[in-house]
Amino acid sequence: MDRRTTLATFFGQKSTDQAAVTATAKPPVMSGLSPYTGPFEYEQAAHLLRRAMFGPTYQQIRASADAGLDATIDQLFADNPLPPPPVNHYYQDDPNVPIGEPWIDAPYIQGVQAIANYRNQSLAGWTIGTLLAEGVSLREKMTLFWHNHYVISDINDPKFVYRYITMLRQNAWGNFRELTKMVTIDPAMLRYLNGRDNIAAAPNENYARELLELFTIGKGPAVGPGDYTNYTEDDVVQMARVLTGWRDTGFNSANPANPVGAIFINNRHDQEVKQLSHRFDNVVITNMGNEEYAHLIDIIFSKDECARFICRKLYRWFVYYLIDDQVEADVIAPMSQILIANDYEIRPALEALLRSEHFFDMLNMGPMIKSPVDFILSVLKTMEVDFPTANLNQTYRLWLRFFRDALPPMQQVYYALPSVAGWKAYYQEPVFYRNWISSATLPIRMQFTTTMIMQGVTQLGATVKVDVLKLVSQLDDPFDPNALLDEFSKIFLPQPITQGQKDALKEVLIPGLPDFEWTVEYSDYVNNPNDPNLAAAVETKLRNLFVAMTSMPEFYLS
Amino acid sequence: MKRRKFIQTTGLSLPVLLNGFSVRAMPKSSIFSAISGENDRVLVLIQLNGGNDGLAMITPLDQYDKLGNARGNILIPESSLLDVGFNNAFHPTMTGLKSVFDDGKMSVVQSVGYPNQNRSHFRSSDIWTSGSPADEVWTTGWLGRNFEKDHPAYPEGYPGGDYPDPFAITIGSLVSETCQGSIANFSLAINDPFNLNPLADSAGSMPPNTPYGNELTFLRETIEQTNAYGEVITAAAGNAANMVSYPDDNRLAQQLKNVALMIAGGLQTKVYIVNLGGFDTHANQVADSPLLGEHASLLQTLSDAVSLFLEDLKLLGVDQRVLTMTFSEFGRRIRSNESLGTDHGDAAPLMLFGPCVAPGFIGDNPEIPTNPDVQEAVAMQYDFRNVYGSVMMDWFDVAEEDVKSLLFSDFSHIPVIAGCSTVSTDESLPELDIRLSPNPFAGQVNIAFASGNEHVRLSVFNGMGQELAVLINKKLPAGNHQLTYDGSGLASGHYYFHLRLDGGRQKVKMMMKGR
Repeated sequence: MDRRTTLATFFGQKSTDQAAVTATAKPPVMSGLSPYTGPFEYEQAAHLLRRAMFGPTYQQIRASADAGLDATIDQLFADNPLPPPPVNHYYQDDPNVPIGEPWIDAPYIQGVQAIANYRNQSLAGWTIGTLLAEGVSLREKMTLFWHNHYVISDINDPKFVYRYITMLRQNAWGNFRELTKMVTIDPAMLRYLNGRDNIAAAPNENYARELLELFTIGKGPAVGPGDYTNYTEDDVVQMARVLTGWRDTGFNSANPANPVGAIFINNRHDQEVKQLSHRFDNVVITNMGNEEYAHLIDIIFSKDECARFICRKLYRWFVYYLIDDQVEADVIAPMSQILIANDYEIRPALEALLRSEHFFDMLNMGPMIKSPVDFILSVLKTMEVDFPTANLNQTYRLWLRFFRDALPPMQQVYYALPSVAGWKAYYQEPVFYRNWISSATLPIRMQFTTTMIMQGVTQLGATVKVDVLKLVSQLDDPFDPNALLDEFSKIFLPQPITQGQKDALKEVLIPGLPDFEWTVEYSDYVNNPNDPNLAAAVETKLRNLFVAMTSMPEFYLS
Repeated sequence: MKRRKFIQTTGLSLPVLLNGFSVRAMPKSSIFSAISGENDRVLVLIQLNGGNDGLAMITPLDQYDKLGNARGNILIPESSLLDVGFNNAFHPTMTGLKSVFDDGKMSVVQSVGYPNQNRSHFRSSDIWTSGSPADEVWTTGWLGRNFEKDHPAYPEGYPGGDYPDPFAITIGSLVSETCQGSIANFSLAINDPFNLNPLADSAGSMPPNTPYGNELTFLRETIEQTNAYGEVITAAAGNAANMVSYPDDNRLAQQLKNVALMIAGGLQTKVYIVNLGGFDTHANQVADSPLLGEHASLLQTLSDAVSLFLEDLKLLGVDQRVLTMTFSEFGRRIRSNESLGTDHGDAAPLMLFGPCVAPGFIGDNPEIPTNPDVQEAVAMQYDFRNVYGSVMMDWFDVAEEDVKSLLFSDFSHIPVIAGCSTVSTDESLPELDIRLSPNPFAGQVNIAFASGNEHVRLSVFNGMGQELAVLINKKLPAGNHQLTYDGSGLASGHYYFHLRLDGGRQKVKMMMKGR
């Protein structure tokens, strides 16, 4: 055996940063970006909705299969109204914001910490409420994609965070280049990556570096001193100078005349000539004042590598983490060409991906480990958990429980990402999605599903819980335990399970009993729906079944 | 000089000494080819995420005035620093570690980095965790490869037989990339050793060999391992009780508290990884007073936690078995910025703790230019892979040839372990010295040094940590050597000549290129 080959394999070596290596071999997916022309049935509709949105219901999947691929794509990209803004859900002493009204443009009150507290709570709860309220749409999944791309974290003013996330939501499949311009002078970003500290006399290069490495063109292999193929260390320095002069305004401000925003301060801007490296054709940038940053971003986007960089990230978000030479050539390359041909509009390229043979390839169905957000929504939404709406405070506090108690131990929290590169599941080789799973997070996920199925979550006297009787009543044939298991598997699991697994699940549903006993018990309940004993008997068995199904590793996959 | 044996130079003109003699590593033949269960030693790694500013943590007093020029707005007043001797002082918050140092249980390896420093957090963390060269992407970790050499089938069949315990434990929710093998990660992530509930397992036939099947297999194996290892971990942690009180508000101490329990409770785990994040101090590294601020708080957390941990291990009677080591993806720039912070840099000190370390300083203080460019950072003296490899040899009995094949073909031993090393030393080599002239230079640089009959590596770096040329990399006969280097093509600025001989003897000298 060739020793070099062996050692290279052992080290997991490879030639570039882009070509990922996975720990385990897989058969090649040979399909490319050509439009998928096969049948669009339940299986395909389920795959598309699970990947393109959070937690599709049985009814949504069936409606999509009936409507067809074109109609489903149109629905996913529909220009729905933005979600209503978060409101004051309980605090009585905010003179500017009555209960029930939005606080997003209202000033703070000097020295009153309670105002920031309720707004932080409101923003967090509203984030969950917005996810729950969304129907068949790509928007929330793309909003989270951009949040993971243009990371901010721990910006301690909810007005800043609301403005930032709304910008991403409005541009969910908008123009990549123009969105990058907005992000560059977004007040939250100016704080997060020290853009506000970047002044002519003392440039702070934090944003310039991440703009190149993480937001636009990406870092290629280091091929020379300070030369990362796509840009150089000196480009970081020069671009930091270009970006000087911007500051956020209105941070935690009690002054109504000082709203959240960004301003350009000319005397903080480096007026001198900047010159980029040969990686950007040695271009010279002369002073353009407050338009210089946008000019710089146009220069960066003149390089086609920007398209490939974002297409790889979209691929890892929607399809799978492994990008081998075939995927690079047959998916990433043509998708990037579509992006460039459409002047960096995201929709045509993303639509091509979601309509492609490659996307609907059987080998791409099911290998994505659900992110924590996807995981909790595949319980709350797919299992159609009802939230009470009569009491604003109660509703917000229920939502907040999921934001504050469920997501953090699973390691995914909006507005508090672990680093500027985003969540490791989308960049850390070789394991990618597997970063979500460890012996620490697995028990937490299992505890979450069990809690939602067995006792639910209670807040201010209201309990939200999986309603297994409602779910079973929606099945085509809830009377036959075999049909019931098949149908629930289709709703909750990405691929068919084995007969052995079905037998084990049936043993949970009707332990040691023949099939007809389920039919008898369930028929009794249906014929006497108000008999609490009959309902309880059926419900207990179904809850046990749901706990068993959601504890299967198959449930963790999408 | 009691039990303190310092490896240290007081200035650039003196050679590296250990008890007055230069040393070289002479590995014993080892029956263990990689980190094995035969030896009961434990390595605790403390990852300082974000890039720790080494110059503010351990300030070279002989460079203090130059630091004042370059970073006056964040520099700690000299009178507040904790002088530990040898022209070095600790940050004022590090009183705990000063006691550890004074007790001879702390080793500081100066200016650890690698050639062609990458200043991306993610890339540089990957380099430090994988042990790869800067220009190659390796997807396995430096410890993972060590484990995998003896356990190639892992995770299949583990835990079992002679290996009931996890090889490594990461405290937290994410496994450490240092332990990544080519199939699975050798570390188990746990937050609380007392709260590991058994998980449901799913019956099922062999998953198909598809991406879906592969991810399913991964999930099933993680569930099985979590269950299997959970019991032994909880039992071990329950066997011991901490002998010191770890403060609730110290997030590193809370991790080390559980590590102490698991070690003392008899778990045979070889490696523990803990984390302290927040070192990316681009802004507000210091607050209004340079004694306060984010970095001060981080260093206090680190110092308090480590000193308590060492005390606990001693009282638990296991301190001789435990080596603790820090690492961070890079140091920071020499110049501070106007945001009271520092940007991404190059080399920084690496610390080792425990009764077995070679106490004191290893290597020279960094040399700070009078007027550094904004991009300049601390020049590398020691390659981090030589520290890793020396720990593998001295602490885990890994044979030198395996260190070379698993980690670094150009490996050169550094005596970081003193009292408990399994490697003996050869004290017959001459002292290290290097003479460079003229300084500043315009064209030719004349280089003169002496070596024993040993391997010599001489290279030149720029102020950004890029290795521009390797001038010598071969075995030379004993004697005096001279050569010239043509630096006429170099831009004006600071350049560092890096000479490495055997036995961990290395020297970095700064030269100024004029216009």
